[in-house]
Amino acid sequence: MELSLQKGSRSRILAGLLLLAIAIFIGRLFYLQIIQHEEYVKLAAAEQIKPLTIPAQRGEIYALDGNAPVPLVQNQPIYTLFADPAVVTEPDRVLTVVREVAGGNLRPKIDELLERKNTRYQILGTKLSRKQAELIKKENLSGIGFQEVSQRVYPEGKLAAQTLGFVNDEGVGQYGVESALNDRLVGHDGLLKSVTDVSGVPLTIGDKNINEPAKNGDNIVLTIDRNIQSYVERTLASKVKSLGADTGSVIVMNPQNGDIMAMANFPTFNPEKFNSVKNSALFNNNVISRPYEPGSVMKTFAMAIGLDKGVIQPNSTYINTDSIKVEDRVIQNLWRGETGKITMQTGLNYSLNTSVVTVAQLLGDGKNVDRKARDTIYNYLYDKFHLGQITGVELAGEQPGVIIPPTEVEGNAVRYSNMTFGQGMNLTMLQVAAGFCSLINGGTYHPPTVIAGTLSDGGIFTGAEEKGSQENVISPSSAKKIHSMIRKARKAFYAGNDIPGYDIGGKTGTSQTLKPEGGYNDDETIATYLGYGGNSTPKYVIMVETSGKDKYLEGNKHALPIFTDISNWLIEYLRIDPKG
Amino acid sequence: MSYQTTQQFYSRRRSNLSSGWNRNQNTVSFVSAVKLGPVSHTVLVALMLTVLGIVYLTQATRATAYDYEAQKIDSQIAELETKKTDLEIENARLTALESVKSGDVAKAMTKPASTDYVR
Repeated sequence: MELSLQKGSRSRILAGLLLLAIAIFIGRLFYLQIIQHEEYVKLAAAEQIKPLTIPAQRGEIYALDGNAPVPLVQNQPIYTLFADPAVVTEPDRVLTVVREVAGGNLRPKIDELLERKNTRYQILGTKLSRKQAELIKKENLSGIGFQEVSQRVYPEGKLAAQTLGFVNDEGVGQYGVESALNDRLVGHDGLLKSVTDVSGVPLTIGDKNINEPAKNGDNIVLTIDRNIQSYVERTLASKVKSLGADTGSVIVMNPQNGDIMAMANFPTFNPEKFNSVKNSALFNNNVISRPYEPGSVMKTFAMAIGLDKGVIQPNSTYINTDSIKVEDRVIQNLWRGETGKITMQTGLNYSLNTSVVTVAQLLGDGKNVDRKARDTIYNYLYDKFHLGQITGVELAGEQPGVIIPPTEVEGNAVRYSNMTFGQGMNLTMLQVAAGFCSLINGGTYHPPTVIAGTLSDGGIFTGAEEKGSQENVISPSSAKKIHSMIRKARKAFYAGNDIPGYDIGGKTGTSQTLKPEGGYNDDETIATYLGYGGNSTPKYVIMVETSGKDKYLEGNKHALPIFTDISNWLIEYLRIDPKG
Repeated sequence: MSYQTTQQFYSRRRSNLSSGWNRNQNTVSFVSAVKLGPVSHTVLVALMLTVLGIVYLTQATRATAYDYEAQKIDSQIAELETKKTDLEIENARLTALESVKSGDVAKAMTKPASTDYVR
């Protein structure tokens, strides 16, 4: 017998209603799960999947100690202490604990901050150390939390401050290496996108998890030797004051490869406290960012050009009358009395303007600093010695300076005559020192650099790619001659305090400053000394500059003593053997 | 009694293919006396699905437990790295030139009375 519900029975109606209800449910489920699928998946993902940024660590900066990298800039995690006043249940205990542990790091009137119950976030203190944060965490204070941030620390204090620069509060490098290499130092943040639980712990469930590890910034190793840098800074600070100047700068380079071993300015600043520096001019690295007329140190370049073009020899003679006429101007010597028939070497020894103007004339028709002479000088200074242009050193704020080409009206004979003794042009110390290296290293121009290489997180050093050097900017024989002339120029008057047995040479420079209204200021001068030292091979080039407002400073009195002090120390520090 | 050998083999089994069975086939099939109705089948399927669900949940929970363990270890690594960083900074500060200069050994050093140079 077949069982069936009677037509119109209550059971049949109930079954029909149930079927209808099921159909509604199925329809609703179909709508939610099929039609609205994407929408709800998005909502669920937004609720469950949280993107967490894995911050990349900014690269550290190292100097060299001999050949070993030593840290100059490191990263230290510090903590910001904050409170959620609405959740804080024991304000008195909070105040007692945080004042006891981190009294010096707290903001003023934190008791009032805790009373602001209508707010959810109040910063109570900044820059707490890990130990301080741990001590406060141990107290399990409700409504109290920490936010970890990274700050730059400088184990060597002020050392090489203007070369390093600093990182501002937004995490962007300012000045120096920090700014110039910001992109390399900053790295790339990683991303962790994962399903998390209610307390934010990432879980492995789900098929849309992303785990891109952060790429830390490069750890940069500078060519700066911390011992040389430290000695140079100390010497500069003490001598600038004792010599009566206000400011000073020094650069020490390796003439064989263009490495900058030290670069210092006085006064300087503490990069850890850059916020408290009132005079932002202190951030500038004057070695690269303040072009000036370097004065008579440029006579070494003029002589080198004359030697390389074959128009003079060190013992070539000319008649010195202590003045020389160029067009409608008369150029005079600062040192007077060495008149008559004298050699170019004597002219360099006494730093006679007439000697180098004579060289300029010989580069032309022999009587005038004509277009041919000017083209030759420009070609050497600009194209070969790379003066008056950016050197490409890896530091922010480098200025190109100016060498006016002979194609311009201002690039006339008078200007080019002045340029032979360092006036009428604006050059940075870095440009001059780098060009000078090529005079005494055999004639190769090495682009200056502060980057020795990188250091991996595992401590493996990788050398930097070499920048393209330019060989034969002057011929090796010309380089040998000018090298000898520079040595003799120092030996003539200024080698008394040199350690005997070494090859040391150099040239003084005293340059007038420019008045704001135009013309030269005779009462305010800049003192410069540019020289080298070593044995059969030059090991270092040092350029010193001192200046002061309304101060008449001379190269032989106010810059040379600093050179001599550093040079003698370098011979011992670099363990240079005496000449064989 | 004598046997007669022949070259022909005769199977003792009947080789009538129309009978529905053949060599090496079971000739008997078991039929349970217990009959399961549609409800029982549904319940059993539901039970099996439940067991499978429980197995899945167990595995998922176990994986999540590992996540918490991993998170704990990550926290420890982060904490140790922070301590390592602090120690590296402390080391750098202690070996910094200024620290070395102000050390007891450096303070006890004296300048040589005279210096001779090899010529």
